[in-house]
Amino acid sequence: MERSIRFRLNETLHEIRLSGERLALDWIRGEAGLKGTKEGCREGDCGACLVLLGGLTGPAGASAPEAGGGMEWYSATACTLALSDLDGRHVITIEGLAQAGLTPVMSAMLDEGASQCGFCSPGFVLALTGFLVSGRHIDPVAAMTAVEGNLCRCTGYGSIRRAAVRLALEFADLPDDLPGRLAELGRRGVLPPSLAALMLAAPPPAARPPSPSTPGAATAATAASAATVIGGGTDYFVRHPDPEPGLQTVLVDQTPAARRIESLQADGADWLELGAAVTTSQFFASAAVQALVPGIERFADEIASPPIRNRATLAGNIANASPIADLTAMLLALDACLVLVGPAGARRLLRLDQFFLAYKKIDLQPGEAIAAIRLPAEPVRFNFEKVARRARLDIASANSALAVRLDGEGRIRQAVCSAGGIAAVPLRLAEVEALLTDALPSVELFREAGRLAAAAGTPQDDVRGSSVYRRRLLERFMWAHAIRLWPQLKLEKALFS
Amino acid sequence: MKHNFDFIQNLLGRTVYIDDLPEPANLLHAAVFTSPSAHGSFAGLDLSAALALDPTVRVLTAADIPGQNQLGTAVLDEPMLAEGVWHFRGQVIALVLAGSRSLARRAAAAIKLVGAADRPAVTDPRVAFARGDLILKPRTQRWGDSAAAFALCHLVVSGRADSAGQEHVYLETQGAIALPDDSGGVRLMSGTQGPSGVQKIVARVLGLPMNLVEVETRRMGGAFGGKEDQASGWAALAALGAFATQRPVKIYLSRRDDMTSTGKRHPYSSDFRIGLDKDGKILAFEADYYQNSGAACDLSPAIIPRTLFHAAGAYHIPNVRVTGYLCRTNLVPFTAFRGFGGPQGFFVIEAALDKAAAALGLDPVELRRRNLLREGDVSHYGMPHEGVLATETFERCLARAGYPERRAAIQEYNRTNPASKRGLAVMPVCFGISFTKMMMNQGGALIHVYNDGSVGVSTGATEMGQGVSRKLALIVARALGVSQTAVRVESTRTTTVANTMPTAASTGADINGMAAQLAATEIRQRLLAFAAASLQLDPASLTLRDGQLFADPEPAAGPLLSFAALVAKAYEGRVDLSAHAFFATPGLHYDLATERGCPFAYHVYGCALLTVTVDTLRGRYQFDDAIMVHDTGVSIDPLVDLGQIEGAFAQGLGWAALEDLRFDDKGRLLADTLSTYKLPDGHFMPRLDVEMLQRPNPKAVANSKAVGEPPLMYGIAGWFAIADALRAARPGLELAYDLPMTCEKVLGLLTGDLVPAGPSGGEAGR
Repeated sequence: MERSIRFRLNETLHEIRLSGERLALDWIRGEAGLKGTKEGCREGDCGACLVLLGGLTGPAGASAPEAGGGMEWYSATACTLALSDLDGRHVITIEGLAQAGLTPVMSAMLDEGASQCGFCSPGFVLALTGFLVSGRHIDPVAAMTAVEGNLCRCTGYGSIRRAAVRLALEFADLPDDLPGRLAELGRRGVLPPSLAALMLAAPPPAARPPSPSTPGAATAATAASAATVIGGGTDYFVRHPDPEPGLQTVLVDQTPAARRIESLQADGADWLELGAAVTTSQFFASAAVQALVPGIERFADEIASPPIRNRATLAGNIANASPIADLTAMLLALDACLVLVGPAGARRLLRLDQFFLAYKKIDLQPGEAIAAIRLPAEPVRFNFEKVARRARLDIASANSALAVRLDGEGRIRQAVCSAGGIAAVPLRLAEVEALLTDALPSVELFREAGRLAAAAGTPQDDVRGSSVYRRRLLERFMWAHAIRLWPQLKLEKALFS
Repeated sequence: MKHNFDFIQNLLGRTVYIDDLPEPANLLHAAVFTSPSAHGSFAGLDLSAALALDPTVRVLTAADIPGQNQLGTAVLDEPMLAEGVWHFRGQVIALVLAGSRSLARRAAAAIKLVGAADRPAVTDPRVAFARGDLILKPRTQRWGDSAAAFALCHLVVSGRADSAGQEHVYLETQGAIALPDDSGGVRLMSGTQGPSGVQKIVARVLGLPMNLVEVETRRMGGAFGGKEDQASGWAALAALGAFATQRPVKIYLSRRDDMTSTGKRHPYSSDFRIGLDKDGKILAFEADYYQNSGAACDLSPAIIPRTLFHAAGAYHIPNVRVTGYLCRTNLVPFTAFRGFGGPQGFFVIEAALDKAAAALGLDPVELRRRNLLREGDVSHYGMPHEGVLATETFERCLARAGYPERRAAIQEYNRTNPASKRGLAVMPVCFGISFTKMMMNQGGALIHVYNDGSVGVSTGATEMGQGVSRKLALIVARALGVSQTAVRVESTRTTTVANTMPTAASTGADINGMAAQLAATEIRQRLLAFAAASLQLDPASLTLRDGQLFADPEPAAGPLLSFAALVAKAYEGRVDLSAHAFFATPGLHYDLATERGCPFAYHVYGCALLTVTVDTLRGRYQFDDAIMVHDTGVSIDPLVDLGQIEGAFAQGLGWAALEDLRFDDKGRLLADTLSTYKLPDGHFMPRLDVEMLQRPNPKAVANSKAVGEPPLMYGIAGWFAIADALRAARPGLELAYDLPMTCEKVLGLLTGDLVPAGPSGGEAGR
């Protein structure tokens, strides 16, 4: 099936015909001939192919709904990006930044010696430039967080850190609004002024047909065909780094409706509903999510890396059904429900833990798609625990989330506890939940929770940890939940005496 | 110019690597079909499905090799394409060519083995040793009489130390482009540290004389030793493809193929025994190093002696016996990786000192201090140490770190934090500079001054990000008295400077820089002689600087001529404006029979202090501070040297604590992609504080010192800093010296889930 896509690459408009899905990376390096975007791992782990992606936050063609002109910009790895996903977007590569010579980002890296072999350098330049474009807080810590998806094997990061700190201090006074910020970055040479101006303009309208009114239905309808449904692509393309020629894909509907996070009353309850295209970055940044789950944003950096979080959808994380998925572990503890839509528009509601049937087997009928994720609207106290071999951008050895609601006397009225990495599917720890419900938090209680968690599931030995290790982690996660959720009880002293 | 042009191009995204070169219209892409297990045999290949994919698909096997099917250098034990039997998982069996890379990869995946049968595989070097399967005979260095000395010791401890291998993770994977040449040979662009080595192997595989094989290396996107010998096979495969099809062929490995099929740092398993007097002075040390060499020799025989040379670390030990075994296993042939056997040796002596300090109840920092090398100490291979900076760098490092106060602060932190413990370790380094294989300490340079005054420099050095081009440009610019912007460092080509050595052993700038300086000085002298003759001045009064010719002692009179004008006149005057020079490191000698001599031009010293915070609840850790005082000599470019120090340290720290290169007992690499193999990222690294101690070093070019490898050893402190924190959490904890110290091991040691295995090492009091 041939289709057209339209997008802007740096300052040039492209309209190309595709007979099958491809990686954006291959097209950028191949047909477009822009070799500054490097292939280092082809699985989103090194950031050498990092690009900036711009798109409308509002409906295509609509007038700017808010300050920022309706555009948003974020970093993404081109090796996990479907080429057809460029439709209606604007992509920036190193060539777009470098047209007028060294920018202040490049100069800072040059002065600090932050480029050695140079293979990773374009990716770092783009990550730091993207940080100046869309970073909420321009400070040294946030600048280093922005490059957590970029690997460098030469420098040891000392020089990169010095450059990032320098930039963060030099640009600490950037305006908050996107138009003001882009203008300032254009004036100060971080972006070529002509490019900065284009970054505010709407990209060419997408060539794909406009979405129907029912969110998710389009996806579901086409999913009934042989096509592969792709969300952000951050997992799919890791498993399929060389897509078969002629691969037919359906991209998850990314209209504003599919990216909504909104309160609603439905099916006899109050919910916070998240559309199927809500990304990880969007989830953690959402005021509504933070109001429902106070403090959840501090776990954002433990999940993947910025360019992956910018693309990875919650629904994709769920549908992928990895037993160790971090977001799934969080959503399980938040007692999420899925809204599933069939090809004819039939809807059903399913509790998330019932969605996982066996290893990588999910309760999704042919033609059905995840249309939304719903969280019960009552605020919870929440903690998430994860240990991986590396603290950033690594898959967990095990993880766990605990969400509790207390009564007036501090008794645990309701507890939902999840665990990942100890079974073929993401688990809810029913015995732990039963133990905690109606109990007062204490050392003894969480010692017992630890014993129960350590006995749960059927952990395996693999590269990310032995079964013994995973059981031990689960025990310690229960203790950690207690320490973090009830700091005033000073449980660590008692647990470690 | 303040900066190297290369680095500017890097940041602009304009630097060209192998896969970025313009592709000729009739280019074929290569992929490889590799062995599925650690050891096995096969009768043939079923190519039907692969060939049916597309008419452009072509498959080449050992039978298609016109010359010798052999990649080995020291020992001829490594076929380029397996014939009938394979010896490790990922060994190349067939070369697949096709019109696109994805087609070639899919065709390779469609090949099937016929009549394949697995054979028993050995993955443990101690098992190979027990079976007598050694690649070459063991090497032993002896000094004094360790057996007699142990009897006199106040304390003797013994133990076992294991260190895992390490994947290079150069961000640019292995690659080469081969073009058929109308001479009947081939031309190659290869991502290699050693173009001459590639040339030799390609000539051998194709059955050609070396003069029909031209190899060029512009640069590499990282190498770290992984492209020293190991680039040759991939280049030779591309060359075979080009030779067989008479079309250009490009090979560029996927990350998974690269990680599966290329060599890495050697895993070691070692036994040690150390004896000390009651004051903590080391009297005797013995060790046996079981090097997991993998399935073929590769560079292992050169790596074992570097382990032995560094067996004593930065310490003086009067009685030593150390033996290295090259144990053949069914794993990928292990190879050079920054440090080249040195880190494995350092880990063992540091483990021995750690154990001894615990047994003596002595502060590990103090124990190290008491044993540091001093001026005139003679090494266990008979080389007197000169210009020793062990104590100076050690004391400066401690002072910079605020040592006694820092220790006290850590103790206070540990007293008040039940679920978090801090630890500290200090790591002194003494590292010998020169190739341990004597004949390799040579290099050439060819300099052209063009008749407009611009300068081109060619040497055997290859640029892989370490900044050797920058150093060469500065050296030549100084020698000719011109600006660095007037000097271009050329790509490394076998046709301009021949018979070169790989850029390795930290010697790139030392050897090639000295050769370039000699060549530049030759041209400078010709120019000055010409100027003196034509201007009728005393040649001794003339100098070249800042791109001008001056007549001293009256600089106020201003320049006589610009460099460009002088060159133009010299050209008209028929002066040779090109010079070749050759440098062989002087003063090296070594007797393999007695294992005595002077194998190094000099040593590099330094010390690091590292602190860590361990989350004892979850078994995670975060390194806090790394303070390093490093002996750089007079740095040719401090920014380049700082980058080398910090970058090497990061690799060492990754090896010590994070990078989990594990094979299962069937010889399968468990982490074969970057989603499973984790190397340091920005968040992992501690705050870095580096002081360069710049003492002139008369043994190297421009009074500098080599910098590439020595700082990698500092990372070993990471292992011991975590161990220190673990002991704060569990006093008296027995540790297995098993590197890396992953989070899993940390939690296992804290909870007792992980019980140290192996000999616990008894004490022998006197």
